[in-house]
Amino acid sequence: MVKFSRYILVVIAIFSLAIALPRLYWISFEKPIKAPSVFYSCVDNDFFMIRPADGGILTNSNGDEFTRDEFELKLPLNYSRQLTLNRTMPDSINGVEMDLHEISRNRSFFRVRPKDIDTPLPSLYPLFESQSGRANLEMPDDFFRITWRMEFLDSKTNKILEEKSRMFSAVLYNRGFKFPATSINGLPTTRKSCDEGYLVIDGANQLFHIKMIKGKPFVRKVDLPEGLKFKHIACVDFSDKLYYAYLFSTNHEVYVLTQYDYMLQKLDVAETHPELNEVRILGDLFNYTITSLGNGFISTTVLDKDFKFVDTYKESWLTKDERLEGKIAHLLFPFELKLTDNKSSYIRFFSAFHSSFLWLIVSLCLMVLHFIIIKKRKENVKNQIADLAIIAITGIFGFIAVNFFPNKFFM
Amino acid sequence: MWKGMIYKEWLKIRWFLLIYAGIGILSVVYCFIRVQHDITFSSPNGYWYFLLFMGGQYFSLLKFLPGIGALAIAIAQYFPETVSKRIKLTFHLPLNENKALLTMWLFGAGTLFISYLLQFLLFTGLSLIYFPGDIFVPAISSILPWFLAGFACYNLTALIVLEPVWKYRIFYLIVAVLFVPLLLQSALTDGFSPVNPFMAVLVLLSSFSLLFSGYRFRKGEM
Amino acid sequence: MSEYAIECNNLTHYYGKKLVYENLNIKVREGSILGLLGKNGAGKTTTINILNGFLQPRSGECLIYGENTQHLTPENKARIGFLIEGHVQYAFMNIHQIEKFYSKFYDKWDNEPYWQLMSKLKVTPTQKISTMSCGQRSQVALGLILAQDPDLLILDDFSMGLDPGYRRLFIDYLREYAKAKNKTIFTTSHIIQDMERLIDDVLIMDYNRVLAQRDVNEFMREFKQFYLEVENPSIDLSKEDFVANFEKVNNKIEIYTYESEEMVQNFLKSNGISYKNFEKIEMGLEDAFIGLTGKY
Repeated sequence: MVKFSRYILVVIAIFSLAIALPRLYWISFEKPIKAPSVFYSCVDNDFFMIRPADGGILTNSNGDEFTRDEFELKLPLNYSRQLTLNRTMPDSINGVEMDLHEISRNRSFFRVRPKDIDTPLPSLYPLFESQSGRANLEMPDDFFRITWRMEFLDSKTNKILEEKSRMFSAVLYNRGFKFPATSINGLPTTRKSCDEGYLVIDGANQLFHIKMIKGKPFVRKVDLPEGLKFKHIACVDFSDKLYYAYLFSTNHEVYVLTQYDYMLQKLDVAETHPELNEVRILGDLFNYTITSLGNGFISTTVLDKDFKFVDTYKESWLTKDERLEGKIAHLLFPFELKLTDNKSSYIRFFSAFHSSFLWLIVSLCLMVLHFIIIKKRKENVKNQIADLAIIAITGIFGFIAVNFFPNKFFM
Repeated sequence: MWKGMIYKEWLKIRWFLLIYAGIGILSVVYCFIRVQHDITFSSPNGYWYFLLFMGGQYFSLLKFLPGIGALAIAIAQYFPETVSKRIKLTFHLPLNENKALLTMWLFGAGTLFISYLLQFLLFTGLSLIYFPGDIFVPAISSILPWFLAGFACYNLTALIVLEPVWKYRIFYLIVAVLFVPLLLQSALTDGFSPVNPFMAVLVLLSSFSLLFSGYRFRKGEM
Repeated sequence: MSEYAIECNNLTHYYGKKLVYENLNIKVREGSILGLLGKNGAGKTTTINILNGFLQPRSGECLIYGENTQHLTPENKARIGFLIEGHVQYAFMNIHQIEKFYSKFYDKWDNEPYWQLMSKLKVTPTQKISTMSCGQRSQVALGLILAQDPDLLILDDFSMGLDPGYRRLFIDYLREYAKAKNKTIFTTSHIIQDMERLIDDVLIMDYNRVLAQRDVNEFMREFKQFYLEVENPSIDLSKEDFVANFEKVNNKIEIYTYESEEMVQNFLKSNGISYKNFEKIEMGLEDAFIGLTGKY
């Protein structure tokens, strides 16, 4: 029992040290990795980069350097306001007249990070009135959930609004909705130009569009190709009003859902993993630029306005683990444990088991050191075999732990 | 015999326990006075929205309370045993030494559990007046690690206080200082749900830890 | 069953690298009162700690009623009354609470002697033990042991902090009690003059070894001090076999020995040591203790 209690304490110590020591190490020695920003020039039909790692120099894909003014001239759609101020904005590009209003209306910016996907989500959402006749959206008094039916809860009384719940549930049921919902996606905020309700996936992986028009339910089932499942749906509110959402499928494809005719259009882009990499989708007058920013690389694909492939650019650099400080970490620590990670909003166990076995060197040294300590204390090595094994596997964490909780037992 | 042990432990911790239980209940009540105030001053739907989408936490006052209460009770319970090595008296009682320690632990942790349970039940009751389960359940998942931190604090304080050698007390303290804050780090509502079961098991296992320093005391480490 | 209440065999202990003692053997007969005497640091408290299972000796073992003290059963522990150095008790309790507490542990609990002692103390019923004087605390600790009615009493430095009156009271009460009920007592004290009134057997320890372990009266009879003045002040008898201890200030010599006056005088004569004023000095236990262990 007492020995058991010691091993539990050793486990707690190893657990805590495996979090604390790498964290201390990285706080002391981590150097920032500054990723470049990649843009596509509709003037040169080439990629242009801002490189903060190299003092913020501006280059194209050949590595030619540009001054700021030159750089901005290559990207008139990104710097239209600055060029207008400088009176250097071209009148037309590719035969299209440059109208500031049109440029701005076609401009869209979307970003999703892994931590936006791996995050606790609420199970209650406000359903806005889509056609209230008011200029501004108003926060409703009730919030809905979709469990065995669609239920509206009144925040004033904390009670279910029975009539409204029945009405919506009945319509959903009639449209073939299989309760419960597995994901509810929308923009639950009053700070948007108009309300388009929610895109909801039901228990049978069917996609529905649900909104409220003049107090009545509007439910539309979206036809999906056979077998298509979504891991993430991000509703958007862009001024061009062309699409309801970006949809990321489980087979790593990206789709947009068009407004009114509910067409799913696939983006002609390589596998996209928003659960691993930050994904940015930039729209402008001529193109969509889809950028994946991951650990050690940036990859940008340009599509035309019909989402057809135009060009792609990829660049990579040494990751944290490949750099010197990472290699030293691999030597010092057999593994690293974290409870938080920039890829998640949850507290989870993020363990990094190192692929190289450099740490075995340190483990071996610590085992020898521990062996000497045992001998010096004239203790029986036989009783310490478990401790030596712990050190072999957990390296410095185990060495500290077994010495913090001395293995001194009597017959 | 266990009645005798409980009597002794009760004499040591009663005031700390009662004061802590009182503060705990008042804190829960205060949380909901504030909820009522905020709802009155904004609106119920605005407040729900704040909780659901803006990361609002109506229970944040309770964060450090279980840990502080556990620390106070553990010190009240175990510190008097170490003054003049009085724990010798306990070990000399006609019962198994480990059983004596576990009885002490069981009583301390049990009373702590009861005061936590009172807070929890009051919290649940008041929550369900204002909020549906959709808001209340994530809240519970968020405050659970704080109560686990309380138990961890209690177990590790017992370990540290009973340890006879100062050097090792400091080592244990280092481990405690590294471990307990893991349960208290800030997170989104419901953010702890993936690790709660593992942490609960680890904290539960740490219950025996006072046996270790008790054993070291009995074997004359100094 | 062995006739010994306590039996320690080949006890060896170190603190780190410092030897406390090696192959120490102690036996305490049932019904006897043994006093363990030694200077500070000679290992008195170490022995008490081993006896109570609060210290694991490097090697050897101690048995109490045939059971290794490292693993005493609850039944056996109930037979042992233990007074901690300084009369330490649960100071956060008052005299009623502490009596109530201990009474739940011992089947033979008899609170009469306890209340008898308490009635003589001038304490209020709700007064915590922590606020009592050292003498009062000693009475509480003693009263609790008497109420426990153990067969073996282990008393660690009971005289510490007691004024002479309380000391006397404590000893007289204890001896009376032990002899009346055939109890065994193992005790240490650094005030040795008290022990004379109490103990049957004496165990004298010095650093690393036992100097004497025997009946106290026998010891007092056989252990002698002789005083003499020699002509040659450079003489040194400390290496002689019969000399237990030898103290010298200029030409004034004290010889401590178990041998007879006759033997000592013969030795001096046959070795041609001229001396005068030869005298046998009467000693109390304290003198004998100092004589045996030396002043330093």
